[in-house]
Amino acid sequence: MGLKGYIARRIIYTLFLIWAIITVNFLIFSALPGSPIEAYVSSLRGSRPEAFKRIAEHFGLNKSLHEKYLITLKNLITFDFGYSDNFGASIIDLITRERLPNTLILMGAAEVITIIIGMLLGVIVAYKRGGVLDTTIVTGSLLTYSVPIFFIAWLLITFFCLYLHWLPTGFAYPVTWIRNPPSNIIEYISGRIYHLILPTMTLVIFSVGGWILLTRACILETITEDYVVTARAKGLKERTVLYKHVLKNASLPIITNVALAFAGIIGGATITETLFNYRGMGRLIYEAIFLTGGGSDIPLLQAIFYILALCVVIANFLADLIYGIVDPRVKYD
Amino acid sequence: MATRKQKISFTIKRFKSFWNQYKKSKRGLVGLAIIIFFSVIGIFAPVIAPYAPIEPRIPTSEYPGSPGVKIATRLCKPFWYKYLPWIKRGLTNITETFYLYGNVMFNSAIIHFIPENQHPEGGLDFDKAAEFPNYMPSSHKISKLIGVKAILPDGKPLFFNTSEWQVRGGRLILPNELVLPANKLLQMCTNATMFEVTYTTGVDLVENMKIVKDHKFTTAESRNEWNWTSSIAGFDVQYDDKHGFTITRQKESGCLNITSKGTTSEDATITIWKEFYYPYYQAPTDLFIHTSIYKTGPSTITLQWTFIRENEELTVKTVDIAEPNKYHHLVASEFTSNSTILDSIFSTPGKYKFVVKLKIPAGTNVAIYLDYVDCLLYGNIFGWLGTDNAKVYPSDIFSTLVHGTRVSLIVGLLTAVFSTFIGLFLGLVSGYVGGVVDEGIMRFTDLLLVLPTLPLMIVLTVSMRATSGYISMWNIIIILTLFGWMGFARSVRSMVLSLRERAFVEAAKAAGGGRLHIINRHILPNVFALVYITLAMSVPSAIVTEASLSWLGLGDPRLPSWGKILYDFNRSGVVTTKGLLDYWFWVFPACLAIATLAAAFVLVGYALDEILNPRLRERR
Repeated sequence: MGLKGYIARRIIYTLFLIWAIITVNFLIFSALPGSPIEAYVSSLRGSRPEAFKRIAEHFGLNKSLHEKYLITLKNLITFDFGYSDNFGASIIDLITRERLPNTLILMGAAEVITIIIGMLLGVIVAYKRGGVLDTTIVTGSLLTYSVPIFFIAWLLITFFCLYLHWLPTGFAYPVTWIRNPPSNIIEYISGRIYHLILPTMTLVIFSVGGWILLTRACILETITEDYVVTARAKGLKERTVLYKHVLKNASLPIITNVALAFAGIIGGATITETLFNYRGMGRLIYEAIFLTGGGSDIPLLQAIFYILALCVVIANFLADLIYGIVDPRVKYD
Repeated sequence: MATRKQKISFTIKRFKSFWNQYKKSKRGLVGLAIIIFFSVIGIFAPVIAPYAPIEPRIPTSEYPGSPGVKIATRLCKPFWYKYLPWIKRGLTNITETFYLYGNVMFNSAIIHFIPENQHPEGGLDFDKAAEFPNYMPSSHKISKLIGVKAILPDGKPLFFNTSEWQVRGGRLILPNELVLPANKLLQMCTNATMFEVTYTTGVDLVENMKIVKDHKFTTAESRNEWNWTSSIAGFDVQYDDKHGFTITRQKESGCLNITSKGTTSEDATITIWKEFYYPYYQAPTDLFIHTSIYKTGPSTITLQWTFIRENEELTVKTVDIAEPNKYHHLVASEFTSNSTILDSIFSTPGKYKFVVKLKIPAGTNVAIYLDYVDCLLYGNIFGWLGTDNAKVYPSDIFSTLVHGTRVSLIVGLLTAVFSTFIGLFLGLVSGYVGGVVDEGIMRFTDLLLVLPTLPLMIVLTVSMRATSGYISMWNIIIILTLFGWMGFARSVRSMVLSLRERAFVEAAKAAGGGRLHIINRHILPNVFALVYITLAMSVPSAIVTEASLSWLGLGDPRLPSWGKILYDFNRSGVVTTKGLLDYWFWVFPACLAIATLAAAFVLVGYALDEILNPRLRERR
């Protein structure tokens, strides 16, 4: 089969996953008894009749179940989510113009930094296992796993914003930009980074522990293998053994975990964005639920959930591709 | 066959050897100790917590006729703040700067003061200035004015005579006569004039005070707490042990009896007062006054509550009592909205009088009974961790925290048990049955692993709330369980796959063992080590996720959970207005409790992993 066959199988599997996600979406929002969409739409009936008509038509509410399913399928595949009255914009515009890029910037930055720090510390700790450093860092990592992310955020806000007055407490960019956005690209980038520091730091502290433990476990797994012993017996330098023989082989499970970590970090990002008023997808979830005046904006929630799941699926697919290229076994399978 | 006794002794032996191994893990011991500590707190929560976790109130039996009295005002600080030496208490001098804006009309002016921190660079439109008050909105209550100084455009200071400025209710009022100088100032300068005001203010930590010791008049000595005078002769105030108000035939039925000897010839005023020492430099934040009164005879009696300090007097409320032969329960409360009233009298430490005045018209022959006479002064410090921001009945944060231990433990443990059970079942079925069932279950597991869990949980809770109206603890447990089993199912499956091929399973099959028998006797015992580890390891994520959902406002609002504390804090807006540093004691204990409890389970899980997972043991 080789690499091509592997990629083809992965593509088919990814398409299957997307279909499954759409189905789950349909089940949760439209098919379950007393479905949220129906509750939402019927709440509009009296107050905003024209919105009621439009949304009911968009979701095919008067039709039979399988027709509804087909409509949902079509809507989600074509990214046709309709119009959100609460935000006064078409939902896909609302998401892609500002929210999704913001979230991807935040999560990307957080994940890259997390992986770098996590792997570095993981390697060091695995190499010096059993020592004081190992015990401290492993225990510390275990503890960050159990600290709620908003606690981390609050501590950081208290220290950096309220005590030192170094960093802003929220927003994705300076508030003055709403009226007069900067013309200078350097000013723009530095302004964004300035506002990114705290949310990114929160996410990094939140997720770095898991990466340290994972790297450590992977390296310990390989460090006892026979070929490592052989390499040492050959008289290779300790550093060469570590980087060429141990780390290379240990990196495979780490790559597969990048995508899973992406899924994991979305939850953290939801809370971080909400807390820092960072206008991303997570903040949009919060706004769709609480800042709509009355009930939650269910169509918007559906769209957010779908897009987020899609992001994770795509990230998984990319990780699989990289895995296929890196792991020689795939080619000769 | 082994007897029952042997079996028990074998179990005990096995447990002992396990315990001996467990003892060696320091992390495990710490974790276990923390879990035991929290369990004890959770079990004895009603004993440990001094107040009800939600909407605590002093019971009606203490103050009849009231729907329950709040235990403290909102946003109190912890009581031990008074022992912190760096917290400012007592009188301090403060200098504040304001900008004066005005519109001159003939010989008067409309004047507005803008605090320095709200004054934009380069000035303000007059239209905008109109949003600001016409008194100096000082950030503290002014107890004594020291100096007022205006700075003229040429930089020269202009001093005012402070005796002409009035301080009323803690505020500096610009009296009408002084509008003229201000008017002149406005005419003199085109820009806003800067005012520097120096004043003395009292900043203090005030504790709740109950003025009357025995407000139910249970014993005859309670009479001695009170002094009395009468404007005319012929009245007497005595202790009465029969006619007091009783809710349910309780023992104490004492009261204060005021009787006239014969018909009065002129209007009489009877003043009953209790003197008390008020030790603080700051006024109470709120007060509650209660009096139950019973009178005979047709004439209308007027009751008035007053506070007196030296020659200042503050009347709280005046009530007319007409209907005879019945107990009237009179209440005065809800002063929070208008606390300047209290500021006007309670500004310095000293002796105060709490006065109950009764006005009796001429020509009556009357007997009056007073019972449950009390005055509560609410302060700004309360309890171990202060109070939250609920408007009517603020909760004692410490009590909510203690009760929250229960909720977190229940949610965490039940979710762990349920999700582990589901994972075990699906993993066993998937691994042992194989084929299409295996494929189906595993693909479903993969799908759930790919979905972003927290957004999905949020969506599910929102839709549950939309359909059923509110979210109960059980809804949360169900949702957490739904997304907690996947990882475990996978590892059980892979373990079963390898166990299935082992020789002992083959032997059991050859001996004619059925499927259920093999799973039950040969596979399950081998998987069970993993069950214990997963049980411990899945509690923390359940606890943390529950807190996160509550933090977002998707918890049960009637449930005293740790998440509710976080949600209340988050919603109160204290973070942005007062700062986390001022109210850290509100959330940090709850956050710390969540983190500690979760970490304890992680530590125990890690220790179990080291003991029960042979591969790890070899490596060490």
